[in-house]
Amino acid sequence: MKHLKPLNKKAELLDSAMDKNKSENQVKGDDATVEEVVAMQSVVGCTGTTDPGWEVDVFGGVAGLCQPMESDLYGCADPCWWPAQVPDVMNTYPDWTKGADSAGDDWRKLGDVFPKDDKK
Amino acid sequence: MISFSNKLRQLSVASSLALLLVACGSEQVAETSDTKKVASENSAEKSDYMVVVNRPNNMHFVDLSTDEIVRTCQLPDAVLPGTVVMSPDNLTAYVLAGRFDRILGVDVNNCDLTFDAKFSYDNVRIKSIGSLAVSTDGEEIYTIHNPTKLHSDHYEVLASQFAVYNAKDGIDAKPTRTFDVPRQINIMAAADDGRVYLSGADVFVIDPKTGQVDTAIASHSHNRSNYGQPDVLTVWPLGKVNNEFVRMYTVPKFTDETQNMDTATFMWGYEKVDLATGETEVKDFGVLEQIFFTGMARPQHPDEFYAVLTQLKRHKVSDLSVIKEIDLERTYYVINFSTDGSKLYLGGTYNDIAVYDAESLTKLNNIVLPGGDMSLGTFQVFSLPRDKVVY
Repeated sequence: MKHLKPLNKKAELLDSAMDKNKSENQVKGDDATVEEVVAMQSVVGCTGTTDPGWEVDVFGGVAGLCQPMESDLYGCADPCWWPAQVPDVMNTYPDWTKGADSAGDDWRKLGDVFPKDDKK
Repeated sequence: MISFSNKLRQLSVASSLALLLVACGSEQVAETSDTKKVASENSAEKSDYMVVVNRPNNMHFVDLSTDEIVRTCQLPDAVLPGTVVMSPDNLTAYVLAGRFDRILGVDVNNCDLTFDAKFSYDNVRIKSIGSLAVSTDGEEIYTIHNPTKLHSDHYEVLASQFAVYNAKDGIDAKPTRTFDVPRQINIMAAADDGRVYLSGADVFVIDPKTGQVDTAIASHSHNRSNYGQPDVLTVWPLGKVNNEFVRMYTVPKFTDETQNMDTATFMWGYEKVDLATGETEVKDFGVLEQIFFTGMARPQHPDEFYAVLTQLKRHKVSDLSVIKEIDLERTYYVINFSTDGSKLYLGGTYNDIAVYDAESLTKLNNIVLPGGDMSLGTFQVFSLPRDKVVY
């Protein structure tokens, strides 16, 4: 973080929280400078996870990827496995695949999604 | 791919809307089969059956002696993720559904909804990542709750919990007990001694009466000499036909204690628990040459381990050799076997179950399911006396 400079209020709060945690840990004699990062388990939105997607397989090629890619679309979208490119059907856009039950046949029906302001 | 898609389109049947009928304290979900008769011939004979779910909200009960669908039930919610676990008598299918947020129990003979538990409440969102098991006496249903409190300006991740439900609580069931458990639990399986095995960073085992958690198999915290840390991926509880808990791993195997990754061989292996005895086994079964999502031992042939994704591969465990492998027409996530080990079934992703001869890996059939993709769904294969089945 030493090369990053906070530009807004939220970033300043994060910086100060880290400084506070660091000083508390030093008092306790711990080496850790920040709180333990808790592994993502409870899905709170697909964009909360980072996963590289389907570009390459574990060998750096494409032979290990699912064939065809449409067969893998809902298997990745449903658990937020492939987060960057598809909406979060688990939480925020549950109806993204409505009326498109077969990814292989219905992929043309899958559209973009946009956040909506709450109207109260 | 074009001809295959067209075939699926021709064979697809449009699903009808779910109709909920409340009767005698239980709901009934719509049944699309219009023929009902109790099988009277060969009543003592047993057959294999399958329960599988697919989009948008279908649950299919399939007779595997004919590969015909006995009936299709329509569930009152989205099937995601579609994890199916059977009751001990194999007459009730429990489905993790409702976008990882609900357990539905359905009578396979009449589509009655006999159990319904929604996880989330108030501003607490609860998800379960493929975690579902039923006690061996059928009285309790187990899952993992991963709760997040949704505040107006931030989310608060709460402790993961093992949750116990009474099957008899029926509709709108609430957990009767909860215990904090390690994070990142996915599949689970109930053992004959009453304990429940949990797939997490390690394989844990929990006593559902006391909440006592022990490590059954050290995986992330392994201590295998000259091995690196294994990597595990699963959301598919597949061990029913072998009465075992099983999951696969990949792992670097080093040539010596210097643990040089450049000379390491990456291996496939399995972590297994015999649910009758509690005996555990960690064993490599082959060299990592392809990606697989699921695998399991062939029933009656414990030295043969099959794995699938876009290839189907039959391994001989004892000498790490490959008996046979084939390229598939497309990717299938999930493998399962007939109870005698003569046939294997591939499912998940699209909406057909591929049936193969387990010995020759020759394709025998495709069971096309009305409706859409199975996606992540786990189907179950089991045996039932034919006179227990309403046709």
